[in-house]
Amino acid sequence: MTKRNTSMIQRRLIPTYIFLIIVSFISVFPLYWMISAATNTSVDVSRGRILPGTHFMENFNNLTSQQPLWRALGNSFLYAIVTTLVCLLICSIAGYGFEVYHDKWKDKLFSVLLLAMMIPQVATMVPLFQMFSKARLLNCTLGFILPMISTPFMIMMFRQNARAFPIDIIEAARIDGLNEVQIFFRMFFPTMKSTYAAAAVITFMNAWNSYLWPKVIMTDNNSMTMPMLIANLITGYVTDYGMLMCGVLFCSIPTMIVFFVLQKQFAEGITGAVK
Amino acid sequence: MKRKLLSVLLAGAMVLSLAACGNSGTSDGGSDGGSSEGGGSEGGNKLTVWAWDQTFNIKAMNMAAEQYKKDHSDFDLEVIETSSDDCQTKLTTCANSGDYSTMPDIVLMQDNSYQKFLKSYPDAFTDLTDCGVNWDDFAALKQSYSMADDKHYGIPYDNGVCAAFYRTDVLDEAGYKIEDLTDITWSKFTEIAVDVHKKTGKYLLTSESTGGDVIMLMIQSCGANFVNENGEAYIVGNDVAEKCIDLYTEMIKQDAVKLVNNWDEYVATVTNGEAAGVINGNWMNATITGIEDQKGNWQITTLPKVDGVDTATNYANNGGSSWYITSNCKNPDLAKDFLVNTFGSSTDFYDAILPETSGIACYLPAGESEVYNEPVEFYGGQPIYSTLVEYSSHIPEFTKTPYHYEAREAVNTAIVNITNGTAKEDALKEAQETLEFKMSE
Amino acid sequence: MNSNKKGMTLVAKQKAAGWAFLTPATLMIVVMSFYPMVRAFLISLQTGAGANMRYAEPIFSNYQRMMADKVFIKSIGNTFLYLLIQVPIMLILAILLAQLLNNKDLKFKGLFRTCVFLPCATSLVSYALIFRSLFAQEGLINSILVKLHILESGYNFLGNAASAKVVIIIALVWRWTGYNMVFYLSGLQNIEYSVYEAAKIDGANGWKTFWGITVPLLKPTIIMTFIMSINGTLQLFDESVNLTKGGPANATITMSHYVYNTCFINVPNFGYASAMAFLIFIMVAILAFINLKVGDTRD
Repeated sequence: MTKRNTSMIQRRLIPTYIFLIIVSFISVFPLYWMISAATNTSVDVSRGRILPGTHFMENFNNLTSQQPLWRALGNSFLYAIVTTLVCLLICSIAGYGFEVYHDKWKDKLFSVLLLAMMIPQVATMVPLFQMFSKARLLNCTLGFILPMISTPFMIMMFRQNARAFPIDIIEAARIDGLNEVQIFFRMFFPTMKSTYAAAAVITFMNAWNSYLWPKVIMTDNNSMTMPMLIANLITGYVTDYGMLMCGVLFCSIPTMIVFFVLQKQFAEGITGAVK
Repeated sequence: MKRKLLSVLLAGAMVLSLAACGNSGTSDGGSDGGSSEGGGSEGGNKLTVWAWDQTFNIKAMNMAAEQYKKDHSDFDLEVIETSSDDCQTKLTTCANSGDYSTMPDIVLMQDNSYQKFLKSYPDAFTDLTDCGVNWDDFAALKQSYSMADDKHYGIPYDNGVCAAFYRTDVLDEAGYKIEDLTDITWSKFTEIAVDVHKKTGKYLLTSESTGGDVIMLMIQSCGANFVNENGEAYIVGNDVAEKCIDLYTEMIKQDAVKLVNNWDEYVATVTNGEAAGVINGNWMNATITGIEDQKGNWQITTLPKVDGVDTATNYANNGGSSWYITSNCKNPDLAKDFLVNTFGSSTDFYDAILPETSGIACYLPAGESEVYNEPVEFYGGQPIYSTLVEYSSHIPEFTKTPYHYEAREAVNTAIVNITNGTAKEDALKEAQETLEFKMSE
Repeated sequence: MNSNKKGMTLVAKQKAAGWAFLTPATLMIVVMSFYPMVRAFLISLQTGAGANMRYAEPIFSNYQRMMADKVFIKSIGNTFLYLLIQVPIMLILAILLAQLLNNKDLKFKGLFRTCVFLPCATSLVSYALIFRSLFAQEGLINSILVKLHILESGYNFLGNAASAKVVIIIALVWRWTGYNMVFYLSGLQNIEYSVYEAAKIDGANGWKTFWGITVPLLKPTIIMTFIMSINGTLQLFDESVNLTKGGPANATITMSHYVYNTCFINVPNFGYASAMAFLIFIMVAILAFINLKVGDTRD
């Protein structure tokens, strides 16, 4: 391609750039505000100051002296990572199974499983709590992750995306003598990188932000998660907005990092791998 | 690549199982055969407490533990920080599952919500009537929040006594003195507030339009409520209620009250100087004293009272909380002894926590101590703590209802509707019906 | 290793593998969702609280109660309004953004992608705080509108029924567009670039390729995001609680918010709350299956 050609393409993309810049600005502004609020005093935040201040260390020290920030971060990371890994494995093989081997019965089963996504969480919380309390699964990782590792939504996502996975690859692999499990791990798994990346981001985010369930089953200080820590910051008679935003910042950054790290995978999807 | 990913997955599964064992191991440790799991302590000399607010409730509880330890060296106490919403969610879930085993020994609860727990889960709490507290040392109203059928369930702690906080500099500017706003009626208040707003552009009263407390203060300061003595919804035909709603809607119409949509906006009106007055629980003190550039400008006085009601007073209560011992407590005698000797009877203890937390005692003898009578510089030398304790002794009793939040919501909805043009009769009728509906099963 | 171990035929082995792949997920869902769901249904037939729960007389009285509950009926109306207005706007915007970001000539793609995704990764607390302060009477939006002489004085966006609903819709679009974009983007990656090249050679312009190629090929993803958005909107909770508390006068309250209040804010009535939750469940299920039937052309 010649240089002129490239610059012409770029010129045609100018409206796109402008649109994307506006959208990005709107999307990023609250993040900016959050960072700037974390560097201001509570009174300044409440007065609507949007310029960055100089009180970050003060807010940070207040936060760490009052709250077990590192422990909460550690717990949240542990729970979210374990949930993501297990969920991706279980749901992707299920999604693959539903699509690749689909027959009338599996399609029916899938429709039934889908129902599980639609019941509001408040309704199942009491029965779930009874179950977990009897099974002595309170205050532990297993208790946190179990209700989250098999979601109809993730299965559906893998199933829908598996439709783009060419069936002839599977046939070819079978002729090459690979068994079904090998086909999944050697063929499907690497080809569906973009789907896995998206699924990982979503699952990590859901697990990281989940609040209602953990707060019911976590009843000691050692298992506190970030959303619970944030809740503790806004419950008193006085809210220290600077300190709160400092906490919120620590709560938001990990999901952003996960997205930023994994987003490259979005761009390396099935294209090229299937040749 | 795929092998690497696979091994990562497997490693993840291993981490999972290890972490699961590790955690449940610590929480189960030493449990005495019961299904206790990080909840109430297993006998011995350790108590667990659910409470919120590090700078206030938790600090006070830890100080109480320190004091108790002086005489009981083997005593141990752990506070599990649990926001007040979380406290409610957890208790509701445990209690509704019929499984109290995860509850702590002692729990802090909001006064306004305690009655609903007592109604729904009466067996979740321990009767404290004979625990050795001299109940007359607490104001009658404060006791009544944690009582049912003449039995005491809670040790009153955080005082919700209300005061009117005013900016004297703004009042000066408009030509008023704090005395002009002391022991007045709401209609007089409205008059002054309109005048002050005209002259200075500042409001003397801010209120939340959804879930606002001003209307509740007004009716409770008359010793009344939106329920009758039998606990039935009592909005239509309730003269006192109608008077309060009239006065309040009149304030909205005359722009004497600044209506905000949420608590942040409420606080913002104070911090950015738009509000020259705050009428709310004494705990607003902490927010106000946080605004250092307004130091010396604030003073407190009594609330306005409702016009034309015989039982009307200039005193009310809003918020506040008390300590409760749960039925999961394995060592209720220890828990009782601890609470009685600290929160229940120790002036020294209240003197010690006041400078640390600004928490005003419900324990009336505490108000007489020197610490409470010291002038507070922020309020231009006013001894606000003893003043507030004194106020709290004048608050009239009124009928409590488990349906406090339902009533508040119904009435606030009616007020929004009236200000939007619905006829008063219709709006009140709807509120009455809504509340009756909520009370039915 | 691959030789027939137990003499199973290849086809039988494949079939067994298919079922084996489904088993862990299915088992988990049965234990973690269906069993509690059945229990919740039994609770929905009961009244009282805690140890005093008992079956209602008549047995469906909690379901009858809904018909008489004005607030709940209002919340159904509110929720469906959000659904009808917000979901289409959000999904169209998300596809559009995904399409723009999938352009191979575009520079700073990673940066733009991250920016657009950021809102849903922003913690709820800060997002609620900022939206409340942006739309406050003295907030940034009002001061801009006043400066541009569109308004004379600050408008109480969150204090008026209609504008409060609009704010909630804006907030939802802001928060979830990037999230949906992620699915479309990962779906677009599965479409081979050569398809677009071919279309270009055939002389199709941007709009034509968008409607002619992108949308049809993304159909499975679109169906999925539709179901997810219906589900998310009918269970909408955060915005109603955090932005408006359901006010003014219940003008913005959602079904799930009301269910939550019935459990944890008001005198707890889990029986009634479960009954309402089941109604929500049935509504989502019906809408989702219409969606699947309309969209699924494979069978």
